[in-house]
Amino acid sequence: MYDTIIIGGGPAGITAGIYAARKKLNTLLITKEWGGQIIKAPDIQNWPGEKSISGPDLMRKMVDHLKTFELEVKEDREVIDLEKKGDNFMIRNDKDEEYETKTVIIATGKIPRYLNIPGEEEFKGKGVSFCSTCDAPMFKDKEVAVVGGGNAGFDTAVDLTKYAKKIYILEFLEEMKGDSVTKDKLEKTGKVEFYTNVTVKEIKGRRPGGASGPEGKDFVESLIYEDRDTGEDKELKIQGIFIAIGMMPKAGFAEGLVEFNEIGEIKVDKHNNTKTPGLFAAGDIGDVKYEQIVIAASQGAISALAAYDYLKKK
Amino acid sequence: MVVKVFSTASCPFCVALKNYLKEHSIEFEDIDVAENETAQKEMIEKSGQMGVPVVEIDGEIIIGFDHEKIKKLLNIKD
Repeated sequence: MYDTIIIGGGPAGITAGIYAARKKLNTLLITKEWGGQIIKAPDIQNWPGEKSISGPDLMRKMVDHLKTFELEVKEDREVIDLEKKGDNFMIRNDKDEEYETKTVIIATGKIPRYLNIPGEEEFKGKGVSFCSTCDAPMFKDKEVAVVGGGNAGFDTAVDLTKYAKKIYILEFLEEMKGDSVTKDKLEKTGKVEFYTNVTVKEIKGRRPGGASGPEGKDFVESLIYEDRDTGEDKELKIQGIFIAIGMMPKAGFAEGLVEFNEIGEIKVDKHNNTKTPGLFAAGDIGDVKYEQIVIAASQGAISALAAYDYLKKK
Repeated sequence: MVVKVFSTASCPFCVALKNYLKEHSIEFEDIDVAENETAQKEMIEKSGQMGVPVVEIDGEIIIGFDHEKIKKLLNIKD
């Protein structure tokens, strides 16, 4: 039986772990991976004490720091179910391990939003990417599409201008939502075309060398989109497609015990309580307005201290 | 033991992976597939995909920074 189980290994979860361990709570931290969204950040300049640090470096420092404390950690595990058991909670992960705990801190953050169209999952890593910092250099002299005309999409396109020979930015709405300064910069490269009022419907691929090529080695070849001005379906020949339509929370495992807002974030009060006593949510998974590393960390701290107070009163 | 890391300079998981290998004093060949197109083709051919990093340990291919597999193949205990 644990005093608290923290779900998530980003800034919120790690900070909650540090605070819970310092309060001598019997703590377990379960995470699929370390760092969460910060691992994709090439340069962080707003974490006090670090003028400039890469996401992976900051993450490594946080994890090293966490591991100096006494707490149990389970990596490479995703929580799939959370239920009440009397006054306590039962947690089950994807490796079928079960744990009982008096309190829970959900700090699972956000993951990239999917288009949910045919070909997207199939061609992941084979032309479909969610991280231009990681994958842009693989598209030297190639033609690529960026789905999403907001700032995330624009930043993705900026990364790609260093390598790709042609970039199409496809936006669902009638106009691009990203900053016009960045748009000007993109236009000046002469490589970028902007498509608005379009719906991306399908990603298609083929085996290199045609149907006779080696099986299981298909790569992206084109995408199908609907031009909603005319209602026509069109095909765009591209070798890469970068999806940048925002992030989404994923906390289906807590259904019934928490209240979600309209975009699926968990509603919390100012001490990070959810609607179930003993169950807290910290960081980007909660309905916080400003999503920043320092804010996620501070919410992790609040959650752990609130969990401590809750246990003391029991 | 021959360890090759196919990566790019900007990819965060590549940096994390290479730091991990260095921490465990594992020698490896660092191949930048953004600069070296032949190596890029080799990596895509061997791994059947284009995401970095890809690690080759004595001919065995691992896609991504897969802690468990890398630990096992390199006999790292921690």
